[in-house]
Amino acid sequence: MRANKRATDPFAKKASALEPEIDIEISERMKDNKKCIAQVFANCCDLVVRELLIFGSMPAVVVYFDVLIDKQLWDDGFLEPLMQEATPPIRSLSQLQEQLKYGFSSIVQPSVVMNMTEIARRIVSGETILFVEGSAQAFAFSLKDKLNRALDEPSTEAVIRGPRYGFIEKMSINLALIRHRLRTPRLKTEKLTAGSLSRTDITIVYIEGIADQSVVEEVKRRITGIDMDSILESGYIEELISDHPYSPFPVMQATQRPDMTTGSLIEGKIAVITDGSPMVLILPVTFWFGFQSAEDYYMKFMFATMLRWLRYLFAFFAMALPSIFIAVTTFHQEMIPTSLTLSLAAAREVVPFPAIVEALIMETTFEALREAGIRLPRPVGQTISIVGALVIGQAAVQAGIISATIIIVVSITGISSFLIPNPGMSQAISIIRFPLMLLAATFGLYGLGIGLLVILVHLVNLRSFGVPYMSPVAPITVNGLADTLWRAPWQALKKRHKHTRH
Amino acid sequence: MNMSRFVKTCRCMLLLIILCMTTGCWDRREMDDLALIMGSGIDLTDSGLIEVSYQIALPTGIPSAVKSGGSQKQVVVISAKGNDLQEALGRIQQQMSRYVYFGHREVFLIGENYARQGLNQVQDLFTRFPETRYNSYVLTAYGATAKEILSTPYPMELIPALAISKIQSSRQSFSVKFDEFLEAFASPGTSPVTAAIRIIHKGTDKESVAIDRAAVYLGNKLSGFTQPAELELLRWWIGDPYRLSFTIQAEPEDKDYKGTISVKSSESSVHVHTRIVDDHPEAKVIFHTVVKVVSNNTRLNLDNEKNRKNIEQQFSRQLQGRFEELLTHVQKGMKSDIFGMGEEIHIEHPYSWKKIRGSWAEIFPAMPVQVEVEFQIEQLGKTHGRAYLEK
Repeated sequence: MRANKRATDPFAKKASALEPEIDIEISERMKDNKKCIAQVFANCCDLVVRELLIFGSMPAVVVYFDVLIDKQLWDDGFLEPLMQEATPPIRSLSQLQEQLKYGFSSIVQPSVVMNMTEIARRIVSGETILFVEGSAQAFAFSLKDKLNRALDEPSTEAVIRGPRYGFIEKMSINLALIRHRLRTPRLKTEKLTAGSLSRTDITIVYIEGIADQSVVEEVKRRITGIDMDSILESGYIEELISDHPYSPFPVMQATQRPDMTTGSLIEGKIAVITDGSPMVLILPVTFWFGFQSAEDYYMKFMFATMLRWLRYLFAFFAMALPSIFIAVTTFHQEMIPTSLTLSLAAAREVVPFPAIVEALIMETTFEALREAGIRLPRPVGQTISIVGALVIGQAAVQAGIISATIIIVVSITGISSFLIPNPGMSQAISIIRFPLMLLAATFGLYGLGIGLLVILVHLVNLRSFGVPYMSPVAPITVNGLADTLWRAPWQALKKRHKHTRH
Repeated sequence: MNMSRFVKTCRCMLLLIILCMTTGCWDRREMDDLALIMGSGIDLTDSGLIEVSYQIALPTGIPSAVKSGGSQKQVVVISAKGNDLQEALGRIQQQMSRYVYFGHREVFLIGENYARQGLNQVQDLFTRFPETRYNSYVLTAYGATAKEILSTPYPMELIPALAISKIQSSRQSFSVKFDEFLEAFASPGTSPVTAAIRIIHKGTDKESVAIDRAAVYLGNKLSGFTQPAELELLRWWIGDPYRLSFTIQAEPEDKDYKGTISVKSSESSVHVHTRIVDDHPEAKVIFHTVVKVVSNNTRLNLDNEKNRKNIEQQFSRQLQGRFEELLTHVQKGMKSDIFGMGEEIHIEHPYSWKKIRGSWAEIFPAMPVQVEVEFQIEQLGKTHGRAYLEK
């Protein structure tokens, strides 16, 4: 199906035309090479083509992107050894090769390139290319600028107890963060590239012997199969390699926490790191993983268990509370205690809309407020919460447009959706709320029951890279429950690898 | 899931939803479209018409924290008359802007006149009606019509019907729920009984209601009411024997002491034994109770074993007498088997029951019933003797 789509893609031709195959061997004559480079990189103002004499007498050309290299390294690590007179003076090509290969510090990673295509690829990825007159080989040096920011705490996955730093946009740093925590040669990192224009580096990280090799192969196969112009964030990969792209539920977890990633690797999961994105994908994951936070393992197991149950309970509220409210108040009034019925009826007395309309108005407003809160500049963000709470909440009740009970229900629902640690799971549950509300408004609790059943059937049908999504609850593995229904003490939990290995 | 399967599923769902919608069976009702009936009553007017009354809660009248509780009414009583029940119900709906909703009806009142005439219509209507709550309380109005009871304000509660329901749900009140009432109707070995409610302080501004009697039915007709003093015994026999309290005059009253001892039961039970002697049923009912003394206004020291035994015996004798009086009143006077003796015979002697079942109404009033009370004082309260007892 994907190949089919590709054929009709109007941009396909354009994209391939952007990067013509330069199937040219490197010429021994420097001039030809220069011409060729000038053709490929026409209109690139940041490309530097500089002629110089190396080792005292040899004419050479250096080609690089000015913006991508580290100036300090360029001066000290590259230019300085190149400008020195060679002793003994270089006479043959093989001597030159020798000198270039061994005469530099290892940080510049000298290597030999034979082909123009390869040269173009290396230049765009930030390497420096050296052509020497009379040599049919070019030399590449990695003088890449270490473009990165400081490690800071991931704001979306804050913890009270636990390490403070999170992944950043630089893949090498992210890998280092994992390597620091898992000092074993069994930690494997395999690099792939995806995106015909972006050429994004993607690294698959797993622990050999713990992770299932067939899942690793499957992930590799799917990532290699990605046919896209660009991969700008790990979200692209998540959608492209997902088993169920049409399901609202996340079958992969995106995290910014190295400790969470490491913990998952030890459990036999696989991490996919995308260059340029601080979000690392963890797979395969189960439904329950969406309710676990890294901190669960750092605090006392009793408290962690309580927190997990609190999350399960409020996740249910986030999904079904408005629909339960609608179903009960419009179809099953006899289920409400009498005195509560009277208060609810009193609150509704002046409201002009049916309960479902009220609930939809408030839920939509809430989602809008949430979105606005993210978009607004930080200093203005404060005002939005005030506007949301006071103006929309209180004023609507006082004006008699919305009943106070709906405000309470929507607020509880709103708070509940923030209790779910995994943002993907939180989004899934928030979106399911709406169809459930409509079902509840048309068929009452019967409709709600059907809706919940459909969701359950969907959940047990989901698989994340071969692992049943609801496991270990369905299919049940009693030992696996120790880390889902409660967080067992470490004494009991340390044996768990056996069961999570698929 | 691929796309085509998704589309297929959506189509099937759409079909199912349309199917459900086209039945027209949609009972969605907003809370503000409901007339919440808290209590309903049925009466027979002097002209022979049937009058149905509803006590309807007015949610706007319920004071809340936001609204300053004005002097709005919390309930309204609406009634209509008709030749039969259906006609009256139809007329009452004509006055209602909202859908009559019985989901929260807590009490159902039967006017005394109507009860004496027979309850078949009510029984049928309410057994068929899907919204009927079988756990609502049934009461018979004593010396009043159901409408009068429903219109009586109750000082402690906002909604008078809720007050009745709260009185009934307390375990120290004699209460009969709708399902128990209908079951008694259906069973040939038991006669129906309900609590009876009356208006107290009538005509003054302290008007209120009290439930201190039981209404005894024979077949579907009211045959009489028990006395207030008999209610406690009735509770022991057929109700919930929770914390029964009894008082006796243990010593003659003098100027210092009133001479009474009061007790509260901590556990009570009833055992009925039936025998068939020459095709005639006989029964022996053993009442057992364990009590604690709650007040002792005599010179007797109950720490003394002899005194205690003496008091226990006095209590047994007195209670036995009271039970016999109750039996005479109900069995001989009203001829109604509210105690379920027939049921007891049915269980213990099923073959004999088959023979007498048809004529049970005639057999029961003549059946010899022997009463025995086992009385045991277990606790003497916090202070064994009286704190002020002279040494």
